[in-house]
Amino acid sequence: MLNYVLKRLVQLVPVLFGITLACFFLLRALPGDPATLLLGARGGPEEIALLKQRLGLDLPLWRQYLLFLGDILSGSLGRSVVYGQTVSTLVLERLPATLWLVAYSTVIAVAMTVPLALLSAVKRDQPTDLLIKLVFTVLLAIPSFWLGLVLVVALAIWVPLFPTSGYGSGFLSRLHHLTLPAFVIALATASLTIRSLRSGILNVLGSDYVTTARAKGNATGRTMRVHVLPNALISSISVLGAHTSWIIGGTVVIETVFALPGLGSLFVESIFARDYPMIQGLTIVFAVLVVLINLATDIAYAVADPRIRLD
Amino acid sequence: MLRDRGQDQGICMTTFRSMVSAAALTLAVLAPAVMAAPSTALAKGILRLAQTQDLVSLDPIATSDNASIFAQLLVFDTLLRPSKDATRLEPGLAESWQVSDDGLTYTFKLREAKFSDDTPVTAGDVAFSLKRAGSDASNWKRFFAGIDQIETPDNRTVVLKLKKVFTPLLNNLALFSSAILPQKAFEAASGSFFEKPIGSGPFTVAAWNKGQGLSLKKNTNYWQAGKPDLDGAELMVIPEGNSRVLKLQAGEIDAALEIPLNQMQSLGRAGTIKTAVANVLRSDFVLMNTKKKPFDDVRVRQALNYAVDKEGLVKALLYGAGKVSNSPMPPMAYADPDLKPYAHDIAKAKALLKEAGYADGFKTSLLVHSGRPLHRQLGQAMQSALAQIGVTAEIRLVEGGTHWATTKAGDYEMAVSYASSDTIDPDQMAGFLIVNPERANAYHTEWKSERVNELYEKERATKDGPERGAMFREMVKLAHDGAPSIFLFYPGTSYAYRSNVEGFEVLPTSNFRLEDVKLK
Repeated sequence: MLNYVLKRLVQLVPVLFGITLACFFLLRALPGDPATLLLGARGGPEEIALLKQRLGLDLPLWRQYLLFLGDILSGSLGRSVVYGQTVSTLVLERLPATLWLVAYSTVIAVAMTVPLALLSAVKRDQPTDLLIKLVFTVLLAIPSFWLGLVLVVALAIWVPLFPTSGYGSGFLSRLHHLTLPAFVIALATASLTIRSLRSGILNVLGSDYVTTARAKGNATGRTMRVHVLPNALISSISVLGAHTSWIIGGTVVIETVFALPGLGSLFVESIFARDYPMIQGLTIVFAVLVVLINLATDIAYAVADPRIRLD
Repeated sequence: MLRDRGQDQGICMTTFRSMVSAAALTLAVLAPAVMAAPSTALAKGILRLAQTQDLVSLDPIATSDNASIFAQLLVFDTLLRPSKDATRLEPGLAESWQVSDDGLTYTFKLREAKFSDDTPVTAGDVAFSLKRAGSDASNWKRFFAGIDQIETPDNRTVVLKLKKVFTPLLNNLALFSSAILPQKAFEAASGSFFEKPIGSGPFTVAAWNKGQGLSLKKNTNYWQAGKPDLDGAELMVIPEGNSRVLKLQAGEIDAALEIPLNQMQSLGRAGTIKTAVANVLRSDFVLMNTKKKPFDDVRVRQALNYAVDKEGLVKALLYGAGKVSNSPMPPMAYADPDLKPYAHDIAKAKALLKEAGYADGFKTSLLVHSGRPLHRQLGQAMQSALAQIGVTAEIRLVEGGTHWATTKAGDYEMAVSYASSDTIDPDQMAGFLIVNPERANAYHTEWKSERVNELYEKERATKDGPERGAMFREMVKLAHDGAPSIFLFYPGTSYAYRSNVEGFEVLPTSNFRLEDVKLK
């Protein structure tokens, strides 16, 4: 197990190297550069040339790339053009909000998925099943910003249970502030995982070993817990893993609606400003997080199904 | 997959019930704990103001975004500042000033003021700050280039010497980039000064939580007696317009900038919230690339100006919160009240097009910034307006960086854009919008008028007064006739505040003076 984890972490190195190359050169292919955009309306040719020189943008590309690699090795990830601080400092300031959202929404999603998928599978093709399917298909189709605003109106204005937006400070206050945004994300996740878990359960319920387990006189609860769920979980775990990777950089809309200081909005702002070091640094951070989530997903497979070996 | 449904169901019912009830129980136990979490307690006398974005830096020579500028103006002072109605300059840290008859020597007398760290504001601090603003490290160097020497005959007198007359200088000294910093504290902090800056403005920085907002507290040393009345202010970042409105309604904030215009009326109706529109120094227009056919012909450009129902745009897109414009310049000092905007006259537009040889109209493209909702709507409106005179405009929707780079490179035909001014003197805006060659070549329209260029040089060397005013009026008239862009409107800036807030006002320069605000 430990060996496996180490091996996977070593595999990170070539992945990251490829990402630095792609991200560095693709960025330079975009129209616009940070110096011109930073100076905006006031920038004449001399000001722009001066700023480019100060930012090292006048150096040949290969030297800029080597400097970038140096910044990664030093751990600073470079210095943001817009903010003038090191990328690592800025990322660390914003990382907690993103991790909170990812973790909290995943917990809510799992808590919703297991009972609802069981209910849906058990009541297959009955009104309850159809209702669950309908509700979550509609939820999947609703834009999250709209759902977010509706929830704010209902649960923060009409019935003021939660704050309308913001991040809070301290564990409880943060949990309180992040409930609505995490719930909106969780609904999107759950609409995918409930489906896959439902069909997984239906598949397993028809298999011989479940019939055998029942025939042996196992209590139904035990049958479900020991025989059905672990075997049905595998595909849902991959769906959950893929969706969680997406959440890492994909919560811009939620961050905007709920005014949360996460990495998604920082990433989008940086792209608009062509803040090269910031975009590069964030891409690296996202890549590492995604690889880690994939690793966690693979480990979760092995935990759910001992037949799967990690080596 | 085909199985007997009845069988599955009978066996699993109890299981599922126990699981669901377990989950429900968990939620039931968790929910009250979550809900009971304390909501942030509000101290009295702290104004909570929602802005659209976070500031980038508190260093006045590094930034150009509004949030940074607004914050800097609350923390630092300048020698002079624009009056609230943006018609003249009033004393800031300088209690009086004198310009020599030849216009080459400016003498400032400083008032007795202290920085928030209790040290006095000295002439040395002023000299240090202005030198820094004019140095290579400054993104605003251009505005201080006219200063040749800075002398400090005593602790409260600063003398600026110029080599050649440069009238806009006083205005540039009222700009945020001319903020006065304490030299000693700045040098002692060696590079980290702007993390927790010290200034002589009405507020000091208590904390800056990046992405969430800036906490300010009252500067007890502030030179205006009895101000600020507030103990502090929270400048919060709430990027989404609807979220700002909801927060205002819920009483989680006291004031908010940029209220979605379609919500202004309903928001004001309740009585607990007041809405207002500030006439800021901003002008929106559609740039035309005069290097490209058919925009090289002034008749075509005028025709397009006649083709658009600008009154209609103000009503439909701005909900009335704006005025039709008569030139690319925002409404500033010396503006000519008698210069009428182009009327909405389709017949005249068609006649002009025919005269120019485009009786059947033409095909063109319109560049639109995708991140500006107002401009996306404008793009659509322009498309249908131009179709009426046979001009087919294909919309090119691009993100901000590309929009800027494309216009700058002259790689466009028409582009929806705008300009806004931080100073009240029209010199800066004229240089940017209608002078060519200058730093933007008439905002990348490449429109050129030798007479405008000549007047620009002259205006800068003429003392403030009616003579200089006449020059600006002539320049603006020339731009009106030359029509380098389709002039649209001067949009107002909307804001709202709860009725317990007194004295909150967005100024024509878009910023606000929180030292004048009271909470009841």
